[in-house]
Amino acid sequence: MESTTELMHGHQLPKPKMHFRMQRLLPWLIPAAIVIGWQLSSQVGWISSATLPSPVAVLQDGVSLWQSGELQKNLSVSLYRATTGLLIGGSLGFILGFVNGLSKVCRGLFDTSIQMLRNIPHLSLIPLVIIALGIGETAKISLVAIGVLFPVYINTFHGIRSVDPELIEMGHSYGLSRWQLFTKIILPGALPTILMGFRYALGVMWTTLIVAETISASSGIGYLATNAEEFMDMKTVIFCIIVYAVLGKVSDLLAKMLEDLCLEWRQAESRS
Amino acid sequence: MTTDFLTLQNIRKQYGATTALHDVNFNLKQGEFLALVGMSGGGKSTTLRLIADLEQPTSGTIDYAEAQPVVRVMFQNDRLLPWLKVLENVSFKSRDPQVQVQAATMLDLVGLTDFASVYPSQLSGGQKQRVALARALMAKPQLLLLDEPLGALDALTRRKMQDLILDICHKQHLTTILVTHDVDEAARMADRIIVMKDGTNLYEEPGLGGKTPEKLGIVAEQVLQDIMGPQPDVKGVG
Ligand SMILES: Nc1ncnc2c1ncn2[C@@H]1O[C@H](COP(=O)(O)OP(=O)(O)OP(=O)(O)O)[C@@H](O)[C@H]1O
Ligand SMILES: [Mg+2]
Repeated sequence: MESTTELMHGHQLPKPKMHFRMQRLLPWLIPAAIVIGWQLSSQVGWISSATLPSPVAVLQDGVSLWQSGELQKNLSVSLYRATTGLLIGGSLGFILGFVNGLSKVCRGLFDTSIQMLRNIPHLSLIPLVIIALGIGETAKISLVAIGVLFPVYINTFHGIRSVDPELIEMGHSYGLSRWQLFTKIILPGALPTILMGFRYALGVMWTTLIVAETISASSGIGYLATNAEEFMDMKTVIFCIIVYAVLGKVSDLLAKMLEDLCLEWRQAESRS
Repeated sequence: MTTDFLTLQNIRKQYGATTALHDVNFNLKQGEFLALVGMSGGGKSTTLRLIADLEQPTSGTIDYAEAQPVVRVMFQNDRLLPWLKVLENVSFKSRDPQVQVQAATMLDLVGLTDFASVYPSQLSGGQKQRVALARALMAKPQLLLLDEPLGALDALTRRKMQDLILDICHKQHLTTILVTHDVDEAARMADRIIVMKDGTNLYEEPGLGGKTPEKLGIVAEQVLQDIMGPQPDVKGVG
């Protein structure tokens, strides 16, 4: 009898492990298959390198861009624009969201106007921004800032408005000052929604920047891609697309880490 | 020696067209444990909210013997902050070491020292209510208001919480008002029971104040009679 149970255990134990490993590998299965298939068909000659260069060729192109310093230069310019725009638009959206969330007067004054502006796709402002601000840094940073502002605003506003009024009533009757009410109840209560908006805004940040850099720029990853397009340099175009994908994924991961850091209590909640 | 700690006179409270309270009059002595009982919608919570200064009466006066009494409400739902750990909930995450020590003492009082650094979501319903009680006791309140804090608990946990509250109230000479649906609970715990009906304090009965449990049945029955009012004579089986 003992050996049977042992056998059963021996049989059952590795199973969840396998399952676990498979689960982690599963998302990468399709990308890996595509890259391998792509490389193979390039090597066999099914795809001409003029239409679609092989992954290895794209990688080599990236290495030479790095060696010439081109990649670092344009990447840092793009990163600068992205973070500056995020900082400006993000803090503006955050402050407006807070003020409107907390004050009835401000809400009455600003909210309708913001809601009206919100419905304009911010990319449609590109011609306007170029005419008004030229094609310099200001124009691109402004576009990113505008794009980021609204998701941050909306989420901050709703986050604050939806804090449980019973908790605020409790804090008030337990003698918390206005500042304490804000830091101990309203802000942490709104934080999950605010961070969700921030994460979404990061996506908007990259899309906006790429479009802006593609349309008018003399530096940045978007420029690198457009420039390569003029010389029919497919390798660089594809390499730039991959850089975008990596940038998007990395910033999303950073946002996720920030969420995990700030919202430890939520993990405790989902565990129980 | 025993002066009136609190006096309610001709209290009326209206919410638009609905009158929650018609005319409420009662007083509360220093150190007294008062229970408010009655049917749903009778105005118990509203009375408590007015006393706690969460709302203002439409007319009438609420007078305290002292100028700025410390009043703490323990709500029906625990209203703990989910983003703070248990000890932080009690201290409101104060950095003041004195407050932290006091919070630890209060947590010890309700027997939850071992749970100081877990989140409320990891506690049972009764444990959450004990944290809420510890938090309410932090400021050494002169008046403790309990709005059905034990309603969601099972009978045994409820009984233990009743004893805990009684013990603390007696030891610290707290003045307490307990709102409850449970006639037994009121009879057992309170020194005095006020029966509220249709927005007025209709009857008053003496309670047992945690003593002479053998009389519980009699007191509870009397309070129940008050709540239900004169009943049509029901013919029994005999
Ligand atoms: N904020 C409010 N707005 C409108 N009506 C209200 C409000 N609060 C209470 N009322 C009304 O006042 C009356 C008394 O309500 P209250 O909550 O004081 O009753 P209660 O005795 O506590 O009842 P329960 O035992 O069900 O908690 C009810 O008819 C209720 O509908
Ligand atoms: Mg009630």
